[in-house]
Amino acid sequence: MKRFFTEFSINHPWTIIVAVVLITAFFAAQLPDIKIDTDPENMLEADEPVRVFDHEVKEEFAISDFIAVGVVDEGGVFNKGLLTNIYRIINEVAEIEGVVADDILAPSTVDDIRQEDGILTVRTLMAEEPDSDRHARYILSRIKDNPILRGKLASDDGKAIAMFIPIESKNMSHRIAGEIREIVDRHSNGEEYFIAGLPVAEDSFGAEMFRQMAVSAPLAGIIILLLMLIFFRNVKIVIAPMIVAVVSVIWAMGLLILTGNTVHIMSSMIPIFLIPIAVLNSIHIISEFHDRYQKYKHKKTTIKSTISDLFVPMLFTSVTTIVGFISLALTPIPPVRVFGIFVAFGIFVAWLLSITFNPAFAVLVSDKSLRKFGRADNEHGPLSGVMHLLRDFSARHYKGILFGSAVVVVAAAVGLSLIVVNDNPVKWFKQNHPLRVADRALNKHLAGTYMNYLIFESDDADAMKDPETLRYIEKFQRYLEQNRVVGSTTGLTDIVKKVRYELYDGDSSMNAIPDSRDEVAQNVFLFEISGGDPGDLFKFVTQDYSKTNVWVQMREGDNNSVMLVVNDAEVFFADNPPPASLEMHWAGLPYVNVVWQDKMVGGMRSALLSSFVVVFIIMVFLFRSPILGLISMLPLSITITAIYGAIGYIGKPYDMPIAVLSSLTLGLSIDFAIHFIKRSKYIHQKTGDFRKTFPEIFEGLARAIGRNVLVIAIGFVPMFFSSLVPYITVGLFFFAIMTVSGAVTMLLLPAVFIVGRARLFPVGEVKHVRAKKEEVRK
Amino acid sequence: MKIHRTLTIIAIILITWSASVSAEDNQAEEIMKKAHLALFYAGDDGSADVVMTIVNSKGKERMREFTMLRLDLEDGGKQFYYTYFRKPHDVSRLTFMVHKVPFETDSRWLYIPAVDLVKRISADDKNSSFVGSDFTYEDVSGRHWSEDNHKLLRTDILGGRDVHVIESIPEAGHKGFSRKVSFIDAKHFLPLKEEYYDKKGEMERVYTAELIEDIEGIRTPTLRKMENVKKNQYTVVEFTNISYNVGLKDNIFTERYLKNPPREYIK
Repeated sequence: MKRFFTEFSINHPWTIIVAVVLITAFFAAQLPDIKIDTDPENMLEADEPVRVFDHEVKEEFAISDFIAVGVVDEGGVFNKGLLTNIYRIINEVAEIEGVVADDILAPSTVDDIRQEDGILTVRTLMAEEPDSDRHARYILSRIKDNPILRGKLASDDGKAIAMFIPIESKNMSHRIAGEIREIVDRHSNGEEYFIAGLPVAEDSFGAEMFRQMAVSAPLAGIIILLLMLIFFRNVKIVIAPMIVAVVSVIWAMGLLILTGNTVHIMSSMIPIFLIPIAVLNSIHIISEFHDRYQKYKHKKTTIKSTISDLFVPMLFTSVTTIVGFISLALTPIPPVRVFGIFVAFGIFVAWLLSITFNPAFAVLVSDKSLRKFGRADNEHGPLSGVMHLLRDFSARHYKGILFGSAVVVVAAAVGLSLIVVNDNPVKWFKQNHPLRVADRALNKHLAGTYMNYLIFESDDADAMKDPETLRYIEKFQRYLEQNRVVGSTTGLTDIVKKVRYELYDGDSSMNAIPDSRDEVAQNVFLFEISGGDPGDLFKFVTQDYSKTNVWVQMREGDNNSVMLVVNDAEVFFADNPPPASLEMHWAGLPYVNVVWQDKMVGGMRSALLSSFVVVFIIMVFLFRSPILGLISMLPLSITITAIYGAIGYIGKPYDMPIAVLSSLTLGLSIDFAIHFIKRSKYIHQKTGDFRKTFPEIFEGLARAIGRNVLVIAIGFVPMFFSSLVPYITVGLFFFAIMTVSGAVTMLLLPAVFIVGRARLFPVGEVKHVRAKKEEVRK
Repeated sequence: MKIHRTLTIIAIILITWSASVSAEDNQAEEIMKKAHLALFYAGDDGSADVVMTIVNSKGKERMREFTMLRLDLEDGGKQFYYTYFRKPHDVSRLTFMVHKVPFETDSRWLYIPAVDLVKRISADDKNSSFVGSDFTYEDVSGRHWSEDNHKLLRTDILGGRDVHVIESIPEAGHKGFSRKVSFIDAKHFLPLKEEYYDKKGEMERVYTAELIEDIEGIRTPTLRKMENVKKNQYTVVEFTNISYNVGLKDNIFTERYLKNPPREYIK
């Protein structure tokens, strides 16, 4: 079979090229139908309970996701000028398409419950532009006297003020944040406005990601092309791998779009994953072609011999990488599944093209332009020098290498135990990104930009009018507020208490939940009849009073921070049984993120383990030897433990990109070992003597691996300078996978070979092969 | 001479035309005045039992039941309202009183039975919700006709009845609405429908008189609906046991009676 593809391609190059062009045109025609989906919530299935519940809660309590806008000034923000600006800004923000104007939380929109000359008033806190600094300070004092607003709208020291802009849909937040930015810039008299919040971060990430994508993937492609040009000095030859890479990207993305999948944050990374993987096989082919052409001086013969020797290793390196990515289909996260399946498809395409398109293309390159090919970088080039150093080093210090590897594994194991699983979409942006700066500034001074909702549910209507139940929830709120992450909690309890407090002319002894159910109900009624917006009330309780919603505002959106609070709630709920039967559930974007993180970590663990086992089985099958199978798993195992161990030491949280990259690490770092072992065996078949085999390994094969390491590793260096952390992570991973697995392959495998030479490379095997060949001839 | 005569004729035409324009405006305001009096000042006083159903966008209902007493001190002028709540049960015996003076801030009092306390509550926002419903205070006690500029848009037929269609524009900055279109019955002057537009010029709320009955010779809307089309929710108010000219005394509308409802009217 391996002959068929290549023979056919060599003999009918134009057929192959026309076919590739036609199919590529077909898939390219699908690209304009691209549907983009940047909502991280879609990391969960649409019918995932936590997601369904989150939607129900938002629907039932008419809650929207918020964009937080704030000003921080050490000199204080409650003065006439600044509040006037804020008043005008909010008036304009309310007009933005997609802003839920009725629900804006800002001094000029929220109601204040107060007492004036014995008259109870529910009135807009800042109904008109403030006329003096005194008026501005009065507004601060009202915020501080209102537990519903305190900390949320202003810090007690008056140095920070915040507004919360509700939006109809999360995926409008990037656009709306932009329009808000334009409005505040126009009004600002020098003060700085911060715009923060999880929805903006998530949506902006999506927008910025596609911009990065348009830069990163082509840039990596160009650098890879340039590096190959340096190695092979022939444009016509190195253009082929690039065509293979681009074509496999187009086929994969085209099929993804054709099958109706949306391009999610994950799938947008398909090109950046496919390009280097697609190039890998081609580099092996060209390297061999390059090294052999000067020997054979005949194009077709060189191609045939190259592909024939490389067919099996290339097939297996592709299969193992495909296994690594296909394993992602086992995760419970739909976009990761789509990502895995289509990267796998792309790798298959790249493999198919490298044994058909590459030879066909090479045949068409004129002999004239090949005349000098292979002369520049011969056995005496710098790359060879490095390989010879490695050869001598591993021959001399093989015991040290084995010992060193053991030390690395033990140290990495310790590092693995230090890994902290954590994620926060805001931190997908770099430290100095405006969203990160805003996040820090607002969360330092105010009650927080991360909104979660704790829902208490009873089967009985009016359950939430029961004083016992309200006191329980009040106690619950105070308990949660002790957590440093929690900036504030707001519930029906606060409305009832505030109304009662104002009803009794600001008597603080009355700032408590009343004793009778009727009094609770009448306090709420008093709120409604005094002009309180029923819409505000029903953000905290359902109309039938069977469910209540405590807003838990958090200063940190890390999944781990959210988990701290969630655990606190579980503990309190377990230790303090509610007076009546109550159920407790969480909702809110940060909580939804926690759930998908959990699913992802578990899913990735089983994906990684299962693909590890599958790859091992494939290796045993490939080498027809359990021992060689085990040996081939060494570079991969050490690379994974070393990289993830390093992550543990560095303290970088194990987040979504890092989880997904484990499959890439597995799929790629086996590749060198496959080539190395398979080709070493070939060489040994020819030499029959390990003393001859060993130096030969460090010639053509080693150079091919060396070129691969350099091309891919350097190709991803530009990604280190991306503004998005996941892109930096991906770049660093490609770099680390290539260098670590390359180094481990080139050092550890020779050392193992030396130790096990008697068994792995028996003398005289060559005769056996010759005898077999003769048998076949007869 | 001829020119002189022509000019005179033109002048006469112009004067008549402009007079007719202002007469049209006067006519619009006159219609709105009649509508206001027909809806809010029927009889010299009145009492009724009211069932209010507030339905939110998910179709969930809240009920309020109360008895309402009204005394007009002057047609189109000062009015007293007294409301005795019966349901929901946890607010029963709660009473609420309003002294309404056109062009001035109302006075409102509330009696809270659970703590046996009378409290004055603020009334400077007439556009806030009336007890959590889609009706505002202004919808319940009326907005004086002279506060807006009215224009007769056309006459039309609504539900088989002739109506005057009148557009009312309040002075700039009014919070309740930016524009109102009323469909006033040409015969008995009750508003059959009112459309309220918000400051963006989009329709926000629609009032409809769902059922109009003859009570003691007075045409009375006994089933009224206010729909908030933006929020997709509505409130329906049903009036029963309506009587007019029952002889209410003004001393009923004092703080003393908030705690002790007048038993002859509130059973």
